[in-house]
Amino acid sequence: MAHEKINGCVILKDLHYAVEDNTWVRKNDDGTVTVGMTDVAQNLAGPILHAKAKGAGTGRKKGKPIATVESGKWVGPVKSPINGEIIAVNEALASDAQLINRSPYDKGWVVKMKSEDLAADLSALVFGEDAITAYKAKIERDKIQACNHIEGSDTYA
Amino acid sequence: MVVRLVDAGSVSGLRSQSIYHGLAYAQTNSTANTVVLAVPEDPYLCIGYFQDVGKELNLAYCERHQLPIVRRETGGGCVYIDRNQLFVQWIFQAGFLPRKVEQWFRVFNQPLIETYKFFGIEAYHFSINDVHAGGKKIVGTGAATIGEAEVVTGNFIFNFNSEHMTQALMVPNNMYREYLSEGLKKYISSFHHELGYLPDPAEVKRVYVQNVEKTLGVRLQPDAFTDAEYQAMEQVERQFEKKEWVEMIHSEGHRERLVKIHAGVWLGYMETEKNGHCVSALIQMIDDRIDRLFISNREGTEGCWETGELEQKLVGQPMKEEVVRSIVVAEFDAMKQSPLDIDEWVHLIMKIKISQQKMSGYG
Repeated sequence: MAHEKINGCVILKDLHYAVEDNTWVRKNDDGTVTVGMTDVAQNLAGPILHAKAKGAGTGRKKGKPIATVESGKWVGPVKSPINGEIIAVNEALASDAQLINRSPYDKGWVVKMKSEDLAADLSALVFGEDAITAYKAKIERDKIQACNHIEGSDTYA
Repeated sequence: MVVRLVDAGSVSGLRSQSIYHGLAYAQTNSTANTVVLAVPEDPYLCIGYFQDVGKELNLAYCERHQLPIVRRETGGGCVYIDRNQLFVQWIFQAGFLPRKVEQWFRVFNQPLIETYKFFGIEAYHFSINDVHAGGKKIVGTGAATIGEAEVVTGNFIFNFNSEHMTQALMVPNNMYREYLSEGLKKYISSFHHELGYLPDPAEVKRVYVQNVEKTLGVRLQPDAFTDAEYQAMEQVERQFEKKEWVEMIHSEGHRERLVKIHAGVWLGYMETEKNGHCVSALIQMIDDRIDRLFISNREGTEGCWETGELEQKLVGQPMKEEVVRSIVVAEFDAMKQSPLDIDEWVHLIMKIKISQQKMSGYG
């Protein structure tokens, strides 16, 4: 999968990113999207102990929480990168929230959503090389240290 | 740079929690970073955001002793809070603290540590977020992103009532409660415990404020809460008082229990059922070693089977599967009518380590 590592943090080139909120969006064939936390986000949070998403059927505006996670002694939101409705949550996170750490772009996805206006939502996110550039700037600006990957994490050569 | 300082003085238990939540929710782009000091005037139990109140607390005891229960929006475990603690709460704009959560605690703990040192207590940062003195925890901390704000909270412990904490926590049996009581007394410290007297809270505040200024390289400007912040606190309090908020989390039912006394000390109770026998292991684990171990049936009494010297041989050993297995193998033949086979014994003992890794996030 096309990707780039910036300071050890993996950024996939085929995803759309809300860089400031550290979330990603994958466009699915059926018109829905899958949403998750980025590798940068899981690294900043540390090992995640709990994750609880809002239920299916919940409408969310961009920037509002779609899930709450706890790592160590920190609790924080995963913010919606789009305007839309949650249609599915990743039930596997209830018993193994560290899937977000080990597999942020695959098994650790957080929710699936249906956008109110997908074209408009995606145009407000960054994609491909633009995402790489944006993350390089963010990692430098925020002085983000090298990403840690816990045992069993997905590997990207 | 100026950071706002609000000394809220003595406040209700609920208000001691709603202040930082309210300030975070009321924060706008132009709100100054804020440090709050507050003393809860009445005692309560405070549970972490993801905790199941029914699993964590002896609700009958809490009701009998009129101990309210507050679910906070920061992480960590259940704590007993009363007027012997001075809360320090940082409600900051995103981006002021370092980006990595672990580093928030490094920064936040520094002025706490320096303040304890000023009073002659050799405090130090321990593990991810604790402050210890002489191997005992002397500050409890928690953190959250609430709204757009980044929040870190902690407390100076002037004195610690371990009795309420011991009785209020849900435990599987009396022996566990005994071990818990001893653990809390042995591994939680306070100004009083360390110094033999209580320092003047005003002096603690004065020294702490100086140390925050030094750590952050800012000046703390005394201020008051705004009307909007008071309204936000009241809104939070209405939410926190709702039964459905306190009982929001329901985890799967089982009797197994693991309590973190501090980052290096864990008290666990695990069970295995086989052929009508319920075998349990009560283990105190210190720095990844088995410190105390009691194997019994569910009722907390010894079973009709005998474990020989298994318990004595395991005490003091590192919590590593290969070590535990070698001891179980060596002792197995001497055990009489063992209801478990070797793999099951190893699994029972190691379950505590696995649960600790899950709870702490670190292997």
